[in-house]
Amino acid sequence: MRLDISSKLALVLLLWVCAFTLEWFVSVPLLVVAAAARYLVPAFRPQSHRANRAFNKFLLYSVAILVLLTALNALLMPGGDILFTLAGLKFHHDGLMFGIRTAARLLLLSVSILIFFISTPLPDFIRFLQQKGLPSQLVLILLLTLHFLDQLPERINRVFVAQEARGAPVRAGVFSRAKSLVSILSPLVLSSIVESIDRGTALEVRGFLVRPEASLVRVQARQKLNPVSLTLLLLTLGVLFLFLLRWLLAF
Amino acid sequence: MAARILIDRFSFRYGPDLPSALAEVSLDIAPGSCCGILGPTGAGKTTLLHALVGILGRHHPDSIHAGTIRVGERTFAPLPDEILFPKVGLVLQDPFVQLSGVRDTVSDEVLFTLENLGIASEVAQSRVAALLRELGIDHLASRQPSTLSGGETQRLALATMLIAAPEVLLLDEPTSALDTSAVERLRQIIESLHSRTTVIITDTQIDFSLPLADQIVVLDAGNLRFDGKPSDFTSRMNEFGDVLPVRGWREALDRLAESSAMQSHAADLLGKALGKT
Repeated sequence: MRLDISSKLALVLLLWVCAFTLEWFVSVPLLVVAAAARYLVPAFRPQSHRANRAFNKFLLYSVAILVLLTALNALLMPGGDILFTLAGLKFHHDGLMFGIRTAARLLLLSVSILIFFISTPLPDFIRFLQQKGLPSQLVLILLLTLHFLDQLPERINRVFVAQEARGAPVRAGVFSRAKSLVSILSPLVLSSIVESIDRGTALEVRGFLVRPEASLVRVQARQKLNPVSLTLLLLTLGVLFLFLLRWLLAF
Repeated sequence: MAARILIDRFSFRYGPDLPSALAEVSLDIAPGSCCGILGPTGAGKTTLLHALVGILGRHHPDSIHAGTIRVGERTFAPLPDEILFPKVGLVLQDPFVQLSGVRDTVSDEVLFTLENLGIASEVAQSRVAALLRELGIDHLASRQPSTLSGGETQRLALATMLIAAPEVLLLDEPTSALDTSAVERLRQIIESLHSRTTVIITDTQIDFSLPLADQIVVLDAGNLRFDGKPSDFTSRMNEFGDVLPVRGWREALDRLAESSAMQSHAADLLGKALGKT
């Protein structure tokens, strides 16, 4: 099975549509499948150790988000039966279900986009967008945003070191780290803006925005969709159609 | 072909409440020559370069400006509002930012510029290989740009512009992050461009620009303080002590004189040695 960038994007689109249209008992298994794809499908393997670490961390945090979101909703949203009482706190059925639905939806959206980006090198993705004929201005904005996100951990570390050198207790514990976030925020944002403007300028003076329409790099844009992408897009349309049909029949 | 640059009473202000970034600056830079624009931070050096490449007109359409700028045969009144690439090439102060970040190898990074020009891959590949050889970085062709040293990145940044064969090459403080050997290599590259391309270098130091330049310009708070030959500049150097570190420059000049004396001595010795054989 060939999974190129367009197939992977089609899969992300399918998972996003599923997250918004299908019930939680479909979203949750899909979430498990999407997370497992990172380990089982070669095309979704992380392209670097950093990407792998980020994905594993995200999985860890997502369990915490799932538990927290579900518990808070069950606690704060009254309705339906009371499932159980813990230290005087009542956990409600309707709130629990809403929490599961919301958490499953959020996590499916995040995991699907994450497995795409950890397994797709930025240069390949940008080249793909150019080949598909996306407007240069839009590609430039995407490029600068993705580049910024890619550089963010390193940049945060640099600002942390700079603050530490000035005597700020940035590594003293979770509370200190949280407090020092405020002090790193402005240098982080400012330096990111300055670098993004400079990088955008550099790309502009290299003719990025005036790429000729008949550029040779666009030849591949005229290639037909591969069977995998086509199947996934048809599946997406099928899910959307079923959702609309169910919505219409409800009246 | 190198282009002539004529700037006539060019003034620029980023906004109505802001001070003049450039005030009635007039310059005539001969085609194929090298011009060093010197001055402290905030003198208007980068603003002038951005005006010449078209960034200023494009990014600050509501600014206040006057005068005219002429690049080659094209006259802009007051300044170009489109990017003049590939006629004019600009290498930014930070060479790391100059790189696209979307190409895996040095060779591909340079190729990226030609892709933007729509030049066929087969032609482009051979042009890139030849340029990397000329700049002495052909051995880095398959390396990742992010793994290069400062000097190598500077040469790569230069290559990303030179590959488009610009008529005018603008270098914004090109030596600010380089060590001595990298500065020397860059000097050789710029010397090799003489008469092929009009080169404008902005700098806060004298060491790099003075031996290269055919014309020296001093800017101070947007005003033109000096425009003339390097020999005239060195004879009047003390006049610029309030805006430029003249004392350090004097020492630099002494070092330069010493270095050229040593070079001429070495050449004499070599000549004698060759004569004997």
